[in-house]
Amino acid sequence: MTACEQTTDVANPLPVPSAPAKPVPVPDDRSAAYWAAAAQHTLVIARCTRCGRYALPPPLVCTGCLTYEPELEYAPVSGQGTVRSWTVMRDAFLPGFQADVPFVLVDVELDEEPELRIIGRLVDGPDAELHLGDRVSVVFDDLGPGVAVPAFELVRA
Amino acid sequence: MTPRFTARSKVAIAGFAQSQVERHAGVPLGALAVDTAQRAIADAGLSREQIDGFATGSLLPSAGGQTIVDGVSIVTSNWLAENLGINPRFAAGFQGYGQLVGAVMLAVNAVAAGAADYVLLHRALHNPAGRYHQNVMTEASGTAQWVAPQGFWGPPVTIALPYNEYLQRYGASREAMATVVVEARANGARIPWSYWHDRPLTVDDYLSARVVADPICILDCDIPVDGVAAFVFTTAERARDLPNPPVYVAGYAQGHPTTPRFPLHWALDDIMGAGVETARRLWEHSGLSRRDIDVPQLYDGFSPFIYFWLESLGYCGLGEAHRFVQDGAISARGGGLPILSGGGAIGNGRMHGVPQMLECYLQLSRRAGERQLPAADVGLACHSSPHFGGAALYSAEPL
Repeated sequence: MTACEQTTDVANPLPVPSAPAKPVPVPDDRSAAYWAAAAQHTLVIARCTRCGRYALPPPLVCTGCLTYEPELEYAPVSGQGTVRSWTVMRDAFLPGFQADVPFVLVDVELDEEPELRIIGRLVDGPDAELHLGDRVSVVFDDLGPGVAVPAFELVRA
Repeated sequence: MTPRFTARSKVAIAGFAQSQVERHAGVPLGALAVDTAQRAIADAGLSREQIDGFATGSLLPSAGGQTIVDGVSIVTSNWLAENLGINPRFAAGFQGYGQLVGAVMLAVNAVAAGAADYVLLHRALHNPAGRYHQNVMTEASGTAQWVAPQGFWGPPVTIALPYNEYLQRYGASREAMATVVVEARANGARIPWSYWHDRPLTVDDYLSARVVADPICILDCDIPVDGVAAFVFTTAERARDLPNPPVYVAGYAQGHPTTPRFPLHWALDDIMGAGVETARRLWEHSGLSRRDIDVPQLYDGFSPFIYFWLESLGYCGLGEAHRFVQDGAISARGGGLPILSGGGAIGNGRMHGVPQMLECYLQLSRRAGERQLPAADVGLACHSSPHFGGAALYSAEPL
């Protein structure tokens, strides 16, 4: 018997390792409403009730008027925006994404406010032709029961 | 122009030491730091008992979520002081980006204020076992919840987004960057302590390298290493009585953008907007201008930072750096602007601003040996991105 054979037990084969899990978001006091809405496939963004400025991630203090938490509320947004940049991920530093490479991430400026930016997966995939300024619309990747993450798809004229 | 910085030319670097830069050192990082610190103190003509101040920025710049152990994965000022057997009057660590320039600010201010007479500044960088940025998290809490669930993770994608925006907006090509990376490695190949010593790179090597996140390939990134550098700062008056030619601190500047962003989302307009302001502060602070600088050492931890620094500092207009660097314009040995004469991060390893600062020191103190540049009176050492990092100016003579 070789050393190699000694390590293999036909009756009890080594367990096939399951695919590494993707990280799921852990809501906190400030983000709970964001993730609850995402689970319903609605994009909501924290907005200051005093000056109206949006911010993502939800800030502790509004950078517009320095108002603090209780006066920030989540407001539904259109989910429409323009592509400011993108990349094709060909390596994943999170093992749960290694089976997904290559995948595209887009840096999107939402229509509601200049420089209101969000990064998400582009569901059209790595073969889609992209340009700065392309229009995209939010969709959602369901990660599991009650957990969804905003992603984007190209809006074709 | 009158400098705003009242300590200009009142503080100087009196000596240095640099360890070998290796993928994995044979000794713990703290031991390498103690050894390097002792050599820097001796180089400055001092004894250990005279060191009464410490400054560093100790960040391990990894997204891997490793357990941080002082003396093993990082080395703080207090750890180094304790392990050198010194109870210092001043010990500080810089929090934030541009750690090396931040540490220089702490050291210079401490000397100028009389908080310490001889400050040992060190930077210790560690390459942990395993993949540097790989993170096995299965739950994304805190700031990670905004990026990890969609797979946005690790510094290469942080730079891929603004670099692609640059390429698309200005019609630049990946091929243009080969000039930058090949120049860094050509100069790093001449540096005995560099990880890349005697290993220059060709354009074909660069263009055939594995792409990590379009348009960033593995050779656009510096390589993680173990390494330590140390410098001794003191007053200009004391430095003049020590063995080495003093190198004087002429000023420094940093920046920090205010637009809310996801963690490690560095948008091109954020980089350039705050980067131009960092440069403006640098001239106002030092009373110098770009035209005074003959050893401009730009930061290249990711190669696109070279474009961003060139444009922030005004060496060329916005969107022009990809053309500016061509045709020998940045060739240190060909009489070009020597922005990477010290090899930079790409030509040395991930030493986080040390190659830039060390090249300024070596050139201005006339200690660069066969690499000595003919003109080396004013040096600029950048670290990190122009919008989050910073830069320090040095001079060979008091200004």
